[in-house]
Amino acid sequence: MKNRKLQFLLGPVLVLVLFGAVVQMASWLMSREYKEPYGAPAATVDSTPRAAGLADEKADTEARAKAKLYEEAEYRTFPVVGSRVAIWSVAQLHLLFAAFVLAVPLFAFIIEVIGYKTGDLRYDKLAHEFTKLLSVSFSLTATFGAFLTFMLIALYPKFTNYLMSVFSPTFLPYVLLFFAEAGFLYTYYYGWGKFHPLVHLGLGLGLNLVGTAIMFIANAWLTFMMSPNGVSDTGAVISVMDAVYNFTWMPINVHRVIANVAFGGSVAAAYAAFKFLQAKSDEERAHYDWMGYIGNFVAISAFLPLPFAGYWLASEIYAYSQTLGLTMMGGAFSWLFIIQAVLIGNLFLAANFYLWLGMGRVEEAQPLQKFVKYLLIAIAICFAVWATPRSIIATVSELRAMGGSAHPVLGFLGVMSAKNTAVNILILTTFMSFLLYRRTGKVATVPWAKTGHAAQLTIFAAAAIFVIFLGVYGYFVEASVRIGLSVPQVGSVLFAMVAITAIDIFLFRGAKTAAVRWGRVPASSQYVLIFIAVTFTWLMGLMGYVRSGLRQHWHVYGVIRDNSPDAFTPTLGFATQVVSVTVLIFFFLIGFVFWLASLHERAEHRAYAPSPRKGPHTGVDVVLDGARLSAPNVEGRTGLS
Amino acid sequence: MTIPLVARIGVLVLATTAFYGYVGQMVPQSEVQPPEEIAIRADLTTPEMVEIGREIADGKGLCRTCHTIGQSGALRFPDLAGVAGRAAERVQGLSALDYFAQSLYEPDAFVVPGFNPGMPTINRPPIGLTDQEILCVIAYLQSLGGTPTVTLQTSHRYYAAPATPGAAPPDAAAGAPVTTPAAPGVPGTTPAAPGAPQKPEPGQPLPLTRPPAEPAPAAPARGAVTR
Repeated sequence: MKNRKLQFLLGPVLVLVLFGAVVQMASWLMSREYKEPYGAPAATVDSTPRAAGLADEKADTEARAKAKLYEEAEYRTFPVVGSRVAIWSVAQLHLLFAAFVLAVPLFAFIIEVIGYKTGDLRYDKLAHEFTKLLSVSFSLTATFGAFLTFMLIALYPKFTNYLMSVFSPTFLPYVLLFFAEAGFLYTYYYGWGKFHPLVHLGLGLGLNLVGTAIMFIANAWLTFMMSPNGVSDTGAVISVMDAVYNFTWMPINVHRVIANVAFGGSVAAAYAAFKFLQAKSDEERAHYDWMGYIGNFVAISAFLPLPFAGYWLASEIYAYSQTLGLTMMGGAFSWLFIIQAVLIGNLFLAANFYLWLGMGRVEEAQPLQKFVKYLLIAIAICFAVWATPRSIIATVSELRAMGGSAHPVLGFLGVMSAKNTAVNILILTTFMSFLLYRRTGKVATVPWAKTGHAAQLTIFAAAAIFVIFLGVYGYFVEASVRIGLSVPQVGSVLFAMVAITAIDIFLFRGAKTAAVRWGRVPASSQYVLIFIAVTFTWLMGLMGYVRSGLRQHWHVYGVIRDNSPDAFTPTLGFATQVVSVTVLIFFFLIGFVFWLASLHERAEHRAYAPSPRKGPHTGVDVVLDGARLSAPNVEGRTGLS
Repeated sequence: MTIPLVARIGVLVLATTAFYGYVGQMVPQSEVQPPEEIAIRADLTTPEMVEIGREIADGKGLCRTCHTIGQSGALRFPDLAGVAGRAAERVQGLSALDYFAQSLYEPDAFVVPGFNPGMPTINRPPIGLTDQEILCVIAYLQSLGGTPTVTLQTSHRYYAAPATPGAAPPDAAAGAPVTTPAAPGVPGTTPAAPGAPQKPEPGQPLPLTRPPAEPAPAAPARGAVTR
């Protein structure tokens, strides 16, 4: 009771504190403006030499104020952290929430389609549960978007004005699409189960199309900054269409759609993991284990083709400007890709570890679990190769002993031939983990089963050998040939993945299947899901930094120069600190989203509800399934606990 | 005592983030400042130009982002060691000076066999070196395996020095920084005065402005040289 009084008082107190803070902030901002010195009205005082002097001073100040010319500020400063870090953090938070809001409807829609086609209501329920996370996230995305816009206008007015002048024709469609997205999103969410399934699916489709279109428009603005097109050397607009369709626009569009799905899947899986760890019953655990598995499956499925989209983006950056490409891979940002290798290596390790733990759900998993150690060895080797830098940080004597900054042996692993090979083998290995998981507890019954297995193994081995061969061959050819070798490497891995999956589908049609015991996984697997979500988020922050930071001292590369005090490129250590803080803020806020989403499942608080003795209908009967009710009389009557 | 779930997850998120932050501190840390404007005095000697050219190559010119000096093996761009010795023989009809100038002003006109095109036009943004800065870079390139000969009064096929040999450019007194003629369309530069040497627009035929003492070779047709 005492606590309730405290809670009751806390609300108004908080409002007063916030009000005081706003007043204080407004006063501080106002105090920075020019104020006229106080002078008593001349008519009320005797004219003295001092008063005459003050009157002259006042008149002079007024005259100067009136004669002051309008000057457009180029930059303004944000207190404490500076303008760049402020914009950076807000933009990153906006993008993280936007990625989540765009990704969740994508796979919720696909899951709903599966539910509709199979008639399995579990899928429908799962899709609905995913969308519960959307409405608050959508508000947060819009809030951070508005915050970012105002901060850009306030802190970088001249540059923002320029971007607005180039892209003004895109603003109206953007706003209209945003309204449409809000309409689709809320109708899709609140209309769940209220419309014919096909109408509801139509809403989901509309939501996805509109969301993707919004992202494509926003991508035009940011890619223009990196690879401007459609403007003269001085920045005058020649063609808005060309400005939109610049070198990196489409690669970024594709890369972001895939990355958003991977990121959204991982955050949704983290939500499921959180709910799993909170679960009180086996039923809940089984449901959230399944949800986490689906979320992670979505994340990793999208993650596997992501490096290929990354190659395309990088090749377009090179095609636009070799200098920009080399700054990215061989200049100021080259060491950033070692950090990226650590992150992606961890993602691969964690994703595989989760799959291996998940094999325990299935009876008769032992025959396949023996292969796990070989997969682990392959992943560890590839991870080590990918994270090997070309130049080693060493003392003078060590450098002398090595004969340069590149290690005589390990230095060969630090070049693109080795790294491309490592990442392709990593992808193949993770794909094999998926495949092993998929066939755990299954026995193929088709007559050509043996041939099918042999064909799959042959394709896998051939792809692996081909990738390694091209990697080694790359050391012996000219640069112009070597660069082109990544295409057949990627092609062979993609071919292997598609071909093996196709065979697998037919191979295990009508197979004998052991029962999957959802919920029977160690709790550590759920922490792995959270780890994957944090790693994905951090990776997005880091890669967002390199994409934006690549321009170095240019707002718009080669067109609008950054003349602000923040025009320098910070150290990677500083950049990673900013990314870390932003990720922590994001997880604090996404925790809030999870908490709000979980309120759906709580029982309605009916402390003032009429007692059961007064009538049979207390309203408690309609409380959600599985909810825990606190009032003993209610609990006893409904049997929910 | 059981640690609450939220605290456990919070520690995991914090530890993961801290770990990646730590990895970020382990790599080399360097802050890259925007390129500084180098004041080029009108009375620079050739050795001084070599020094300034080296500074530009390492900094504002971004040459060393792609080019190595003294490395061999499977390189992405040509190594510059001894380039002065090779320059005169690279393109038939082009002197070493004009070859250097062409590779900076019009880099795709000739691409060294075995390499892909990729060199940016150096006098245009984002690098945007001035004609005088490019002369210094040429002096530096001449010093790599040869003897630098250029001065600020040297003309080449992409730039005409002021008419009086040995005289300072019209708007620069001795010892004062040179204000270079404006590159068309480059922000922050002033338009060249009427009658002042003009640089050709991209795609336009190049004026041959070699001093009379040295007969000018015919300009090779674009694309006539195979890569």
